[in-house]
Amino acid sequence: MLATLLAAPAVETWLFYIFASLAICLAVGVLVDRVVIRSGFILIGVFGTIAGLFLLLSAQFLALAQIMIYAVAITLVIVIALMLTNPRSEVEAAPGSSDNLPLPAQIWQNVKQGFPLWVSVFIFATIFAALTGEKRWPVSTEALPDNAVRVLGEQLTTSYAIPFEFASVLLLAALMGAIMMAKNEKPESTEVTSTEEQKAEENLALSR
Amino acid sequence: MISNGAEIGKLTLLSLVWLTIVFTAVWMATWAVGILLPMLLQNGLGERAMLINEILRFVTPVVSILVFIPINAMFMVLIERRALALFTVRKGPNIVGPDGYLQTAADAVKLLFKEDITPIGADAVMFTLAPIVFFAPSIFGAVPLLAAVTNNHALFQVLNLPTGIFYVLAAASVPVVALVMAGWSSNNKYSLVGGLRSAAQAISYEIPLVLSIITICVLAGTLDLVKITEQQAGGILNWNLLGGGALSGIDKYLAAMISGQPVGSILQASYPFSALSAVATGALICCTIISFWLYLTGACAEINRIPFDLPEAESELVSGYNTEYSGIKFAIFFLAEFTNLFVVSSIATVMFLGGGDNPIPVWILDKLPLVPQLVQALRDSFLVQTLHLINPETLFSTLWVILKVYSLVFFAILIRGTLPRFRIDQLMDFGWKRLIPLSLIVFVIVVFARGLVNCHG
Repeated sequence: MLATLLAAPAVETWLFYIFASLAICLAVGVLVDRVVIRSGFILIGVFGTIAGLFLLLSAQFLALAQIMIYAVAITLVIVIALMLTNPRSEVEAAPGSSDNLPLPAQIWQNVKQGFPLWVSVFIFATIFAALTGEKRWPVSTEALPDNAVRVLGEQLTTSYAIPFEFASVLLLAALMGAIMMAKNEKPESTEVTSTEEQKAEENLALSR
Repeated sequence: MISNGAEIGKLTLLSLVWLTIVFTAVWMATWAVGILLPMLLQNGLGERAMLINEILRFVTPVVSILVFIPINAMFMVLIERRALALFTVRKGPNIVGPDGYLQTAADAVKLLFKEDITPIGADAVMFTLAPIVFFAPSIFGAVPLLAAVTNNHALFQVLNLPTGIFYVLAAASVPVVALVMAGWSSNNKYSLVGGLRSAAQAISYEIPLVLSIITICVLAGTLDLVKITEQQAGGILNWNLLGGGALSGIDKYLAAMISGQPVGSILQASYPFSALSAVATGALICCTIISFWLYLTGACAEINRIPFDLPEAESELVSGYNTEYSGIKFAIFFLAEFTNLFVVSSIATVMFLGGGDNPIPVWILDKLPLVPQLVQALRDSFLVQTLHLINPETLFSTLWVILKVYSLVFFAILIRGTLPRFRIDQLMDFGWKRLIPLSLIVFVIVVFARGLVNCHG
């Protein structure tokens, strides 16, 4: 009876609104929190609630992968990277006086400062158009297969093999780029660091 | 002759007494909530009890875990201290209660009454949240294991998931966040370094751990814990530890030979390419044993047990991430650590050691005298028939699970008493240059060798 109660559309809708509002609140919290590391930890909460949304869509595997990869591994690395940054450098580089610049330069600077905003607005508009437009993504009415993980694996290795491989190549390129950037940071360092230490650093970079 | 035989005897007696206490308490609580209460409600309320019964069905596994965790942690701390004392030729705690049996109970009471301190400059919210985030996944994560270790008992079937092992691994990866959180929010350099170390270590060693589990999942062909356990039924030759079903053809052959049935083409069916299949079987056995070892190493690092306890290395970092914790928050950290050790050993038992399976093959078991009569007598007794207090199928498999899991726990304690701590660079080298390539090689060999033998997956 509880199972039927849980499966009833009303409860599912309510859970969706709870998860969605939590996710939005936490996402705003990530943006407004003054302590940058704390906002990193709040990000874990955002990913957790999104995993809850996946669970509501009965995508169990996806929800668990979301927790395992995004909520823990990636966010943890982000938090550690934040810990290694210097919080004061942000304050020093804060609003420089742009009054004595010519007008086009001022506009350009504004655009440059607002670049992340423009990117997010663009992405939001794209996804909004894709989801609500005339030819929006078709919603399947088929029942979920018994062994959803198997179907997912088969699809990934047959129909979607090429995008899957492209994603892995992209990740590999990003990995190599990260290592190159980590290596080029101090090109002229003459101090003798033990090879073990360098290896350990490389490993950390790899794990990122 | 062993000179410390008396001490070993005492330790064995202590384990037996405490194990009896732990599992009697857990089973009584589970039985009261899962069987007795619905029975009483059925008599009292009749049809209207449906909804309450449905809720109780979901509550029962959680109750069993919540009762189990604190008592089990008390037992494990005590056995760890006593066993370490035995290994290092000391006495260990033997004052409180009869022969020190109540030492950890007294410790628990002391910890609960200590003052709860939040250091100045600490981020209070994060500081309080960290122990909770550390402890909660060990409850959630253990839930799908319950059905697998009790031979799919009706009370625990509710929470069995089709993605069981992946769920357990996802839950087991969350506590690292709590360690970094605790380290950062304590406003203490030692804590911060401890937290960072635990993050680096957990990220590095999670890869061989997950790869070794994936190897077994490839052999089994499923992620469902109950299915993985059921596949391994029927004696040590079917266990995932020995080739993940590569030897089950030989098992069937021997069974047929002993019972006098025609042997026929059993070997032919299991090993289609005669010589190649034999080679593949050997490779599979080697690979699964290496996988088991990889899993134990990765798990040891994941839960910060001693050769890998760099996050709380007391000679370098005072006490690592939990330097500033006291009172009940420290108790929660402590509880979660030992629960994690138990959960990790249970995963090893389910994935590699056949869950609740009897190591003696069925064809020997049937020949043993008195065993079927004993089981039948138990089945007819008052306890089973009217009160449903004991379920014979569950009883034996649970006993085997207890034996296997606590053997692994004891092995972890033995390792703790034997090996020194790694240095951080050795740790990284060992993880990235040895374990990860090895686990990848094992995985590839298993994928190819599996095609040449008919495994049970």
